Formats: sequence, structure tokens, C-alpha cells
Amino acid sequence: MITPTAYRDALSQIDAPNSFAAARQAALNAFLKTGLPESRQEDWRYISLDHLERMPLHAPEDGLGILPALEDYPGALLAYLDDRLVWQDTSLPPRVLDTLENAIGDGIPAWAAESFGSLAGTASLTQLNAALWREGACLRVPAGERLRQPVFLRFAAAEADVMLYPRVFVHMAVGADAILVEHFLGDPSIEYWQNPVAEIVLEAGARLTHLRIIEDSNLATHTGLSAVHLARDSSYRALNLTLSGQVARHELNLALAEAGAEARLDGVFIAAGRSRTEQHLRIAHQAPHGKSRTHYCGLADGRGRGVFDARVEVQAHADGNDAQQTSRNLLLSPHAEIDAKPQLEIYADDVKCSHSATVGSLDENALFYLRSRGIDGEHARHLLMQAFIDEALGLLDDTGLRDWLMPRLLAGMPRVQSLEP
Amino acid sequence: MLQIHNLHVNVAGNDILNGIDLNVRPGEVHAIMGPNGSGKSTLAQVLAGRDGYEITAGSVHYLDQDLLPLTPEERARAGIFLAFQYPLEIPGVANVQLLRTALNSLRRARGEAEMDAIDFLEFVKDKLMLLGMDDSFLFRSVNEGFSGGEKKRNEILQMAVLEPQLAILDETDSGLDIDALHVVAQGVNSLRNAAHAIILVTHYQRLLNYIVPDQVHVLAGGRIVRSGGRELALELEQKGYAWLEDKASQADNAADLMEARL
Repeated sequence: MITPTAYRDALSQIDAPNSFAAARQAALNAFLKTGLPESRQEDWRYISLDHLERMPLHAPEDGLGILPALEDYPGALLAYLDDRLVWQDTSLPPRVLDTLENAIGDGIPAWAAESFGSLAGTASLTQLNAALWREGACLRVPAGERLRQPVFLRFAAAEADVMLYPRVFVHMAVGADAILVEHFLGDPSIEYWQNPVAEIVLEAGARLTHLRIIEDSNLATHTGLSAVHLARDSSYRALNLTLSGQVARHELNLALAEAGAEARLDGVFIAAGRSRTEQHLRIAHQAPHGKSRTHYCGLADGRGRGVFDARVEVQAHADGNDAQQTSRNLLLSPHAEIDAKPQLEIYADDVKCSHSATVGSLDENALFYLRSRGIDGEHARHLLMQAFIDEALGLLDDTGLRDWLMPRLLAGMPRVQSLEP
Repeated sequence: MLQIHNLHVNVAGNDILNGIDLNVRPGEVHAIMGPNGSGKSTLAQVLAGRDGYEITAGSVHYLDQDLLPLTPEERARAGIFLAFQYPLEIPGVANVQLLRTALNSLRRARGEAEMDAIDFLEFVKDKLMLLGMDDSFLFRSVNEGFSGGEKKRNEILQMAVLEPQLAILDETDSGLDIDALHVVAQGVNSLRNAAHAIILVTHYQRLLNYIVPDQVHVLAGGRIVRSGGRELALELEQKGYAWLEDKASQADNAADLMEARL
């Protein structure tokens, strides 16, 4: 196993203000006590992190990574390389967009006091992130303001065997409105581990559209957490895309904490080759008249394996809630596997809840139809796959990011050859 | 153009076609009629290259090449088009995407330049008009939520865009009201010329009032039991198919008797 030394060394390299040093040390101790999650834990039953124990994981060494050419990001951009902010292109003032380190300074400010560090919970990987994050990103949208451009956070890995702990804090004040894109990627030839945490607070009437894209190296491990808190009449819309990675896991914990909160959670995950991908959603309806819609599409090819595990919980007295879950999955090879586990736990009386899960293969009749029009089999399969995931991509039109994202999405699809735009 | 010789086809252990012979020359329109279960649709599917049909004997040549080894897309690129009896709905694929992708696949195969989106829209407009369809059809998902008549018109639109040399229409007339039938027939007739051939598979002779065939063949029990001109279709309309089935089974009985004697 990885000796605790690797983690202790990583912590010793972090130059945190004294006020936080103790908290970081405590978080590390908590992690070391439990260690990496094990497969006997229900939520970790399908994927193993044992390979991390065998890797020479270490904190990034400053200045070793080389910044790969930056793609075009149509909005404000903070670009991180091995957990260091290396590039920014934004006209937003620092009080709106800055590193988390700068934003919180020497002590946790009032606007973050209630949620910072607590929203994400105390799971062992979250503790590890709390101990070892560096720089990070903080987005604070003031009351009533609407950001005209999307905000992009690009977290890239460049050094082999690094462990990275991106940390994001988002505070949407009353009635604020923004689009946030988190983009995770890395050098395709190296192994590394990204273990990011995002805490997102929406005050009353705030609206956030959140795209989260895992486009990591196919040798990489990604274990990410998003924790979202929704106050009265706020709205959180998310599109979670998992396009690559040897092991890619995303956990989304959402609390509809006050009346009238709304969430729409869309996702596409792709497991090709021998990769493993998992989507864990926990949606807690804690107050009356909340609404959540979940629509995830999974594609598995080769010996890929995907897991969709979503639990909606409607708490007692949370009447008038409406929760719908849809999980649609497509297997493209006889050795691929997808496990869909939609779950509802309802403790209130007056609710409207539904869930459905399907696992199927490409429709042979539709394939023949396309081929009979002269479209070759490969291209026809591709068109049908695209059509299959399209239902989950509505937010791309709402955010105007379809043109930016589709090439990445298509590149991540199994067995891509040439495609027409 | 198309020569079918002694074609035998088996589907899941059942002999469906039992020795079809058919010659189609450029410019000709052939109607293939017959009762349900006679093998009409099987013949259409086999020509388009669908999987799951076992050719147990015989041959099919198209433009002097052996058609049977070709994949469905190779056949399409060689100029064969099948208008489906039950067109598929493909949610999420826009009609225009299918049409342009298909046309460009054919153009690439012919060594022609691909058509860009703007030129294509211009090109497809006339075809839409011909079939009485408005632009909105282009941007809807393929056949999704289309009425029966709209689906059939959409098949003919695809045909008009791809301009096949040999079009096979599998019961395109079924489920059409008289106005839609008229529109579809007009679309088909507009493609009729000395270089193109058409095979109409149909149960009723109604369509043949609008698309006048050069030859009519009657299929029963997996064989062509009679061939003739336009008047054969009218005769069928009067007499129905029952007398043909009697004839087919008589032929079978006679054959059995012969075998028994030998």
C-alpha cells in the first residue's frame, strides 16, 4: 500500500496559513485512519482503487509540467496545471472569480462559513482533498447578478504519477445566475489520480448551470465529488460527461434544502476498452415542492463497465415533491456491462416520483435502414449512438456550448472514424 | 439491369422463395403482386441486402455484377434503393442529417465532391415541393411522430434525393389515402426515365392506375406463377388472389405426384 509518507510529504509541501494548517492536518489524520475506500463498502463495490496503492504517487513538483496548448474556451478561464494556476483569461474581478486560496485568505469569511469544508462531508477521499488541495478556484456571483459568459475551470495533469486535488467553491448569492464548466483532462500517455471536490451553494432564487467534463487520460483515475446545496426557489442544472479515464467515478450529492428548489441532472458516460466508470447520485428532497429530473445515458463498449447508481430520498413532511429518474444504457459489445440502480426512498405522503432504467443494444433494424441509404455500418452506428445520447444534451443548446463540446464528445465515443459535422 | 435466376431463399428454416426468375431492363417498371405471405417483401429485402435471409440457390446480377456478396451500403452506392414498407423511426437523427449523409456517401463512392449544408438545402427544396412537404420535415427526427402517409412520402423524398437507378418500392401504397397516393405516384413518376428502373411491390392494383407498369408478375408460394401486362393487374382486382393459390397448390400437387411416380 502507499505509505502514509507520500501523503505526509504532500502536506508538508503545502504552504498554508497557520489558521488552516491544523485543519489540514486533522483532515489528513482522518483519512489515514480509514485509508482508501474498499470494495466492501456498498458505494465502492464495483470499482477498486487497489491500483493506486501500487503507484508511486506523489504531490506535483513545481514547474515540471509543460502547459499543453490551450483550446479555445468561449468564456472566462482559469487554467490549472498539476494543481497550479498557470493561465487566466478573465475580465471578472477577483471578488467574483479567483483562486480559492486568495478568496478565503487567512480565515474563512462569513459568506463561506456555513458551507466551506462541511458541504462536501467527511468521506475519506473528501478528507484527503481537504488536507491536500492547493490554490483551488472560487466563484462568487453577487446577488441579482447574471454572468454574461460561462466560467471555465480547466484542471489538467502533466506530470506522471501525480495526485491532484482540485477544489472548487461556488457561492451563488440571492438571485444570481451563471454557467460554470469544470473540465478535467491530462496528458494521455501518463498515469495520475485526480480527486477533486466542488462545493456549490445556491441561495434563494439563484440559478446555476454546471457542466462537468471528465476527459482524463485513459490511464488515469478520477474520483470526483460535487456537493450542492439549494435554497428556496433556486435552480441547479447539471450536465455530467464522463468521456474517458481508466477509472472514472463521479459522486453528486444534492440537497433540495428549502421549498421550491429545482434540479435537472443530465449525464452521459462512456466506458470503452477496459475502463470503469461510475455515476453516484444522491438527491435529497428535504423541503416541500421540490422538483428533480435526472436523465443519464450510458454507453459501454469493449470490456468497459459502467455503473449508474442514483438514490432519491424524499424526507418526511417534504410534501408536493416531484422526482423523476431515467437511466438509458446501450451496450455495444457482448463483453460490455452496465449496472443501473435507480432507487427511491420516500418518507412523505404527497409526492410524485418515478424511475426507469433500460439497458439495450443498437437497433439492428435502424442500422439496416441507414445502411440501405448508402451510409456505411460504422458511420450508421455512430449516428445512432449520437441520437441515443442526444436526449441528455439539451443543456448544450441552453448554454450555447454545443459547438464547443460536440467535437470532444464525438472524439470520446467508441470506434470513431471520420464524421461529418 | 437486374437478372434474378432461380432464386431460393430460406428464412429461419422456412423456404420463402422457391425459384424466382425475373429480368428488369433500364427504363422498365415491374409490378410484383401477390397475396400476403407470398414472399413479395422477402424478395425486396433480399435485393436490399438485409441479414437473416439464407440464399439456398440461384443468383442475382445487377449491372453485370454479382449482387449477393455486396453489403447493403454497397448496393445503395451502386444505385439500389428500397422504400420500406414500415419506415423506421430514428429519434435524435434529423431528417436532413440522414439525407445529406446518405447523399454524400453516394457522391463519395462515385468520386464526386460532397455537398455542403447550404448547397444541400437548396438542392432538397425542389424535392420537398414535389412531394408537398414543407421545410419543417427536414429538421424533425427521421419519421418520428410522422403519420403513415408522411412516412411513405419521406421514403419517396429520400428516393428523390438519392436518385437510384433501381428503386424497389415495398408496399409504398399501403395505408395511403387517395391524395397521398397521388403525391407519391407523382414523385415516383418524376424519376421515371430511360435509365432508371422501378420494381413496385404491391398487394393492390390501385397504385398501378398512377404508375403504369410495363410488366406485372404474380407471386404465390414463393414463385412467380404468372406474368403479363397491365391487364393482369386488372384481372387480379376482379378475381382476387384465391384462384392463384389454387393454381399454385395444384402445381405443387402435380409435382408431388410426378415425384411419387418416379
